[in-house]
Amino acid sequence: MRVQSLDLANFRNYAALHFSPPGGVCVFIGDNAQGKSNLLEALSLLATGKSFRAARESDLIRAGTPLARVAARVGTKNGDVTASCLITRVGEGARKRFVRNGRTVAYAQFLGGIAAVTFMPSDLALVSGPPALRRRFLNAALSQADRTYYRDHAAYTKIVVQKNALLKAASGVERALLSTYNQQLAAVGSQLLCARARYVQRLSLSAAEVHARWVGATPGFSIRYAPSPALPAGDASPGAALAALERALEAALPAELVRKSALVGPHRDDVEFLLAGEPLGRFGSQGQQRTAVLAVKSAEYALLAAASGEPPLLLLDDVLSELDATRQRTFMSSIADCEQVFVTATEAPDAPTLGGAHVYEIVDGRVEASAHAKTG
Amino acid sequence: MDHLAPPLTALISELEKLPTIGPKTAARLAFYLLSASKEDAEALSRAILDLKSKVRFCSRCFSLTEGDPCSICSDPRRDASLLCVVAEAKDVYAIERTMSYRGRYHVLGGLISPIEGIGIAQLKIAELTERVRKDGVAEAIIATNPNAEGESTALYLARLLAPLGVKVTRLAYGLPIGGDLDYADEVTLTRALEGRRSL
Repeated sequence: MRVQSLDLANFRNYAALHFSPPGGVCVFIGDNAQGKSNLLEALSLLATGKSFRAARESDLIRAGTPLARVAARVGTKNGDVTASCLITRVGEGARKRFVRNGRTVAYAQFLGGIAAVTFMPSDLALVSGPPALRRRFLNAALSQADRTYYRDHAAYTKIVVQKNALLKAASGVERALLSTYNQQLAAVGSQLLCARARYVQRLSLSAAEVHARWVGATPGFSIRYAPSPALPAGDASPGAALAALERALEAALPAELVRKSALVGPHRDDVEFLLAGEPLGRFGSQGQQRTAVLAVKSAEYALLAAASGEPPLLLLDDVLSELDATRQRTFMSSIADCEQVFVTATEAPDAPTLGGAHVYEIVDGRVEASAHAKTG
Repeated sequence: MDHLAPPLTALISELEKLPTIGPKTAARLAFYLLSASKEDAEALSRAILDLKSKVRFCSRCFSLTEGDPCSICSDPRRDASLLCVVAEAKDVYAIERTMSYRGRYHVLGGLISPIEGIGIAQLKIAELTERVRKDGVAEAIIATNPNAEGESTALYLARLLAPLGVKVTRLAYGLPIGGDLDYADEVTLTRALEGRRSL
């Protein structure tokens, strides 16, 4: 998958941009707040339909303007795809509209047209941060690869919201309705559970392989899915998941009535990153955690490539800054063969590290071919 | 609009309050009514007034009606053993247009949604069980929308009605007639596959 052109209008600090990136590795260099990450954010928006960092989507619209537009033409194995997202200011917030190949489509239809894997410094919290971060990672990765998963997850979340509202209802809890919600949660939740179990298993294998290549086979890296509820003997078949979830929902009923909140189900899942069987979040050094996250991200890339049948875009925000010169070189050579990679950095790495990468300087919302750039 | 006659601006601003009507359409409608015959204008205003004064809820099915019980509930040719449960009165209208349903209706007045404060008590659910118990209903067809709230409500009603010895069915999921397979979303297509029938 390869971006042939990217057009921005009033997106973040870009008033207007037309950029035709080459294949291979593109490095964006520039001082802080010039708009390097905004380029990655725009590409990621077209893949996931969401910003990877904006707390409020109205922040995506350039100050003083009513409407932002992000559009790209992407070459895929099924031919060229044009995708765009329009973000309109509505009161304090914003509304998004998605267009694919000239036709307005719903968010669920937009997802999965362009595949991208993003890595940014805040991803390091994936190992030691709260479980919600790891669930968000699973949901984002699975939604891109599997549209049914996205639908199931959206449906599940809606029912959890209704169930929580019912548990908090001042007029008392209608038990038959609670059982109805539990029946629905068990049915959809077990689908999520199975999909997550399958995904984590494959992610673990792939990440372990990458990890071993970088730092040796021991201590071995693995990822363990910790579903809510735990599955007896780790059996993640649809039947076993459904039975376990039904039992757990039944058992949790008294506690849920007291705490007025839905206490079991995939919305309480976690994922553990282990080094030699020990949880990295508690025992790992900063360096070990960093390596683990990079291994997980490259596994995500490999799995998404396998699911969509072609390599996704790779968006790397500020990954070089914390690496020494040797590791920078190793890292750059490890991504050199990807179909298309976008990397941001505050300073240009030296020429041997850059290898065949194309370098662009980002200055105040403009993209200029850099003196570091190789010709062609 | 200061230059327009006040009765005209008054009508335009009333029309603008209607759903899907913007300022331009409102002005166009107002000027049309001005040029229409007096009889047409009176018929329209009378229709609007009658709507407010004469339409009420049927005491049996809670659909909208002029006389009580409504024409469907009081029609002896309607099959009383067949009861179609819908969320809103406009759904009755939708099913009636098919001309292929000969049973009766029950309008819930909404769908269960605790987040919006709509629980069992806010809907005509007690009245539904009462009817099923007393009116000799053999089959209850749950025709709520196939969205999250519609599904929850349907499942809840099935749970509620099953012990009363009534057959509870749900409208089929499937493809729109005259539609294209490749425009259908995955979930609809999956449901349509699951609900396939032999030819």
